[in-house]
Amino acid sequence: MGQKGRRRQNLARNGVNRRKDSLYQQVGDGDSQNGETLTYSMPYLPEDIWHRIHSLMPMRDAARAACLSRAFLHSWRCHPNLTLDWQTLCSKSKGGGGNFSRKIDSIIRNHSGIGLKRLELDIFDDDRTLPYIDSWLQFAVTPGIEELTLGLYKSAFRPMAELGPLRSLTTLHLCSVRITGDEVGCFLSNSPALEQLKLYDCKEIIFLKIPCMLQRLRCLSVFSCWMLQLIECKAPNLSNIYASGENIKLSLSEALCMKDLCMCFPNVIGYALAELPSIMPTLETLEIGSEDEVVNTPMLPTKFIHLKHLNIQITESDDYFHLASFLDASPSLETLFLDVSKDKEYVDRESVFGGSSLHLRQLPEDRHVRLKLKRVEIIGFSSAKSLVSSHVALSRRQSHLSCLCWTPLMVVIGVVVNISVGPLARLFSRKISVGPLARLFSRKPLERSWL
Amino acid sequence: MATREAGKKMIMLKSPDGMEFEVEEAVAMESQTIRKMIEDDCADTAILIPNINSKILSRVIEYCNKHVPTTGATGAAASDTVAPAALAEDLKIWDAEFIKVNRATRFDLIQAASYLNIKGLLDLTSQTTIDTISDNSLEEIRSFLSTKNDYLPEEEQTIRRENQWAFQ
Repeated sequence: MGQKGRRRQNLARNGVNRRKDSLYQQVGDGDSQNGETLTYSMPYLPEDIWHRIHSLMPMRDAARAACLSRAFLHSWRCHPNLTLDWQTLCSKSKGGGGNFSRKIDSIIRNHSGIGLKRLELDIFDDDRTLPYIDSWLQFAVTPGIEELTLGLYKSAFRPMAELGPLRSLTTLHLCSVRITGDEVGCFLSNSPALEQLKLYDCKEIIFLKIPCMLQRLRCLSVFSCWMLQLIECKAPNLSNIYASGENIKLSLSEALCMKDLCMCFPNVIGYALAELPSIMPTLETLEIGSEDEVVNTPMLPTKFIHLKHLNIQITESDDYFHLASFLDASPSLETLFLDVSKDKEYVDRESVFGGSSLHLRQLPEDRHVRLKLKRVEIIGFSSAKSLVSSHVALSRRQSHLSCLCWTPLMVVIGVVVNISVGPLARLFSRKISVGPLARLFSRKPLERSWL
Repeated sequence: MATREAGKKMIMLKSPDGMEFEVEEAVAMESQTIRKMIEDDCADTAILIPNINSKILSRVIEYCNKHVPTTGATGAAASDTVAPAALAEDLKIWDAEFIKVNRATRFDLIQAASYLNIKGLLDLTSQTTIDTISDNSLEEIRSFLSTKNDYLPEEEQTIRRENQWAFQ
């Protein structure tokens, strides 16, 4: 009998009249107890409701509740969520977590294996867990699993061939796991319902191939997989990618509906300008971070037609004119966040006032574009040249700007609407006309709620 | 089936103690159980809701009434004027007030939400119960839940030992 059927039966059994005669009146409107007449092995709610409530409890509470009665123990044996990490099992125990491995082993072995939907196994750096990991995974990774998070501290996860398809798996997170690209690919092709894939510090992956059968895959995150060179993704509905590494190439099928992209690796700005508009035409949010950027400021033949939010963080570059290229290519841009803070040790002490020779590159007059830019935040400028060059790029284009925030290292507050002659002089002039620059935030960085 | 108020379809819900509640169809359909009855055309006259007395049923209807605009057909009008985040915050505050009831009423609401299959109400009542018993001793929880300890002493010792980590 299905759950609904059972529930109806339970309700029928606890009919109104019976309730009125017994529990309903006895429990009454107060929480006071009337002694033994009120105690049952389960409260008068049907067992399946208690099972549901129990399954929603955090693991620690659920384990404690198992000691209440046999019915709760039975429910605990089928608990859907197991979070087996140091924080949950050992953080509060006196004398450290000497029994970390034994605790995990006990919980997994005492679980019935039925109903487990979410497993988080993070062995921290406890070597004593190593001999058991395979058997734990064999026991817990069953076809009903929906979310699997493994932090194996450089141990191997060799998905068993006999495992069969994991038709319910929607989320897979692997952290510091020894697994090759081929093995990931094989695992993925057995997980047709996957929606989210996160790989962190998996150093054996060189090529990551995501098959087109993953129709529901929406979110892909790859961090600190330093050997990774190529991500080839054919999943048609992928909309978010977060990637960082040394030098990752993205190879994406053309039918992408990518909306949100975050990438951090060297020279990513040039890569983004050159490659992304054509392969990700629907991009709405772009975050890129780069070190040692050698920008070759291309003028783009194609545009980011839908790009609304742009976040650029760059640590080493003496030329910010790629910003102008981005602005030119993004007619729908509403929010711009630019962080050019350098590592404190390398801060250029030159102040905006001290800049001796300004070689501002002028943008061609005919490239004057009216933008929808509403919010701008720029932090970390320390040299006049950079500040002004970016400022020129911006101010020539803004038209709907309602919010502008500068937080340079040397405190500079200034807004100009029109720079044509004597940029520095005008930078601090008060030529702020009424209208678009209605609000001016000077000290407090803006909330970046879209991040 | 009664109809009223500018074409808004109305549904009559009857509690076993004889009370009748006329509600908009959209409100009633917050309950997946009732929705199925309506969709299967089993609701041409008043729908009898077994096991849920009028006091609880009226509270359930109150909940559905409050929550229908965010998901139902009238939602568009509401969300045009109020930001979704503000709306959600308002609902959260309302929920917190709504669930300030004694234990018996809360258990009745859980049972009603389960039978009528109203996920939001079931989550709210379940979570409130979990919050209430969290950090209490086993005896206090047993007392609150009216649960009897049916373990033999040695069984209880074994299971306590097995889950010792959860008590530290």
